Amino acid sequence: MAPLASIGFYLALLTFPDWSGAIEGSRYMTTILRDMTVFAIYALSLDLLVGRAGMPSLGHAAFYGSGAYAAAIASQRLATSELTVTLAAAIAVSAALALVIGLLCVRATGIFFLMLTLAFAQMVFAVAFQWTDVTGGSNGFAGIARPTFGGLETSAPEALYRLVVIVFGLVSLLIWWISRSHYGRALVGVRENERRMRALGYHTRRLKLSAFVLAGALAGVAGALSAWSFRFVSPNDAGIGRSVEAFVMVLIGGAGTLLGPIVGAGVVLYIDRVLSSAIPFSQAVLGVVFVAFVLAARQGIVGSLRAALVRVRR
Amino acid sequence: MSAAPALAVEGLHRSFGGIHALDGVSLAVADGERRAIIGPNGAGKTTLFNVLTGEIPPSSGTVRLEGTDVTGLATSDLARRGLARMYQRNELFEPLTARENVALALAAAKGPYRLSRARTSAESAEADVYLERVGLAGRETARARGLSHGERRQLELAIALAQSPRVLLLDEPTAGMSPAETASISRLIGELDRSLTILIVEHDMDVVFRLADRITVLHEGRPIAEGTPAEVRGDRLVNDVYLGKALEA
Repeated sequence: MAPLASIGFYLALLTFPDWSGAIEGSRYMTTILRDMTVFAIYALSLDLLVGRAGMPSLGHAAFYGSGAYAAAIASQRLATSELTVTLAAAIAVSAALALVIGLLCVRATGIFFLMLTLAFAQMVFAVAFQWTDVTGGSNGFAGIARPTFGGLETSAPEALYRLVVIVFGLVSLLIWWISRSHYGRALVGVRENERRMRALGYHTRRLKLSAFVLAGALAGVAGALSAWSFRFVSPNDAGIGRSVEAFVMVLIGGAGTLLGPIVGAGVVLYIDRVLSSAIPFSQAVLGVVFVAFVLAARQGIVGSLRAALVRVRR
Repeated sequence: MSAAPALAVEGLHRSFGGIHALDGVSLAVADGERRAIIGPNGAGKTTLFNVLTGEIPPSSGTVRLEGTDVTGLATSDLARRGLARMYQRNELFEPLTARENVALALAAAKGPYRLSRARTSAESAEADVYLERVGLAGRETARARGLSHGERRQLELAIALAQSPRVLLLDEPTAGMSPAETASISRLIGELDRSLTILIVEHDMDVVFRLADRITVLHEGRPIAEGTPAEVRGDRLVNDVYLGKALEA
């Protein structure tokens, strides 16, 4: 039942621009859905660390931002908008950065890991802010060309929407696959008892580093998609606000689940983009929602619903 | 039997601040031997185990595993060389099932970088063999955190056995167990294959005298006696510092 529902939901999402034409404001809704999907990828990548491997990173925007900048700079300097080139640039840059930062961070755990990731992300932010020749400084980059794939253009909103949703499908599939694999279970082992994992013969630091690099690369993918969606990148994309956003999405939706980060991204973007035009102080609403989940439902929306379902079935 | 002892320790020192937790420990455990380490609290037994598993580096001295110098190797590398430990305070994967706890130990040999599916029926069958061996048949899908204290000790042992070790360190295997549980786990340990070398730290002297081929008595970080159970029982010094009190209690 669950796989069928997921596939049905995914197909409905993918074809949204095709069947939603009659709904009022469908173009705007397409944009909102696209942005939710971009952030869902971003949140999924962070959950690989927070939810699976138990590594609370507060510096994930470093990789989101570097992916966004890499895609923007590559399409500008390499004079190509070919997706395979620009997306590869985003993945390569964010993965390489994650390798360097990860090497320095994975020795630490808990609050120390959190503070270290935050500190390194702030350095990336500072570089984005001050290296004006390359990054455009505080003005950022505007007018980023949307990619082409083979001969296909994605400059039309519907085409870009589809690209985003297809990449989201691939990333979700990858995360789902990992969660069932030996690799995914080993990450859970590290989360639950790193000492025992070492005693079993696992090189846990290497394992954590691999997760850090993979999560960084996927955040870079999300960043590149955001650069094409908004046609704009600024230092804020590598800033602490962006890092916190991903963390909030994961915690509200439910860490360590596939659906949780996706739902969390949807809820946060809904409050941020839709509710904000309907009511004042929508950021305060987000704050209250977040506090409520931290205090009363640490498992997040998906985790709590699952627990409730288990109780009902008994 | 190979010429080199399974485990040989020489001149092992470890101090914490000014306290000499290990103050020159030397011992050689033959292949297949069951060696008990006894001594009063604070004698350095757990520190010795922590140094042997690489969780604490020694201040000085050497550790040899089957003739190879392994001093200062990381815990994970020592595990890969065939050293396993049953922890005194259970180190389990709490939200995972008993079966998955064992499966993680089984999967360690092939390494974690595999995208093939975990939790296959073949893997479950292999894990269940170990669970059955330690008396946890029927509890395969129970989560570790839901097991009783005795069952948790059994699972702890199943995990260590699933590593297929050459040398097994047992840190108070019967701690906190009921008399019936103690009897069954010591019978289980007694039946383990003789290709396995076992070091055991234990406070229950009945268990020690039943299982051990030889006993090393630690006192204030130093071995003060070593011999067969009969020899150690007859040792005056040992009786003064430890056995007298332990047997009365």
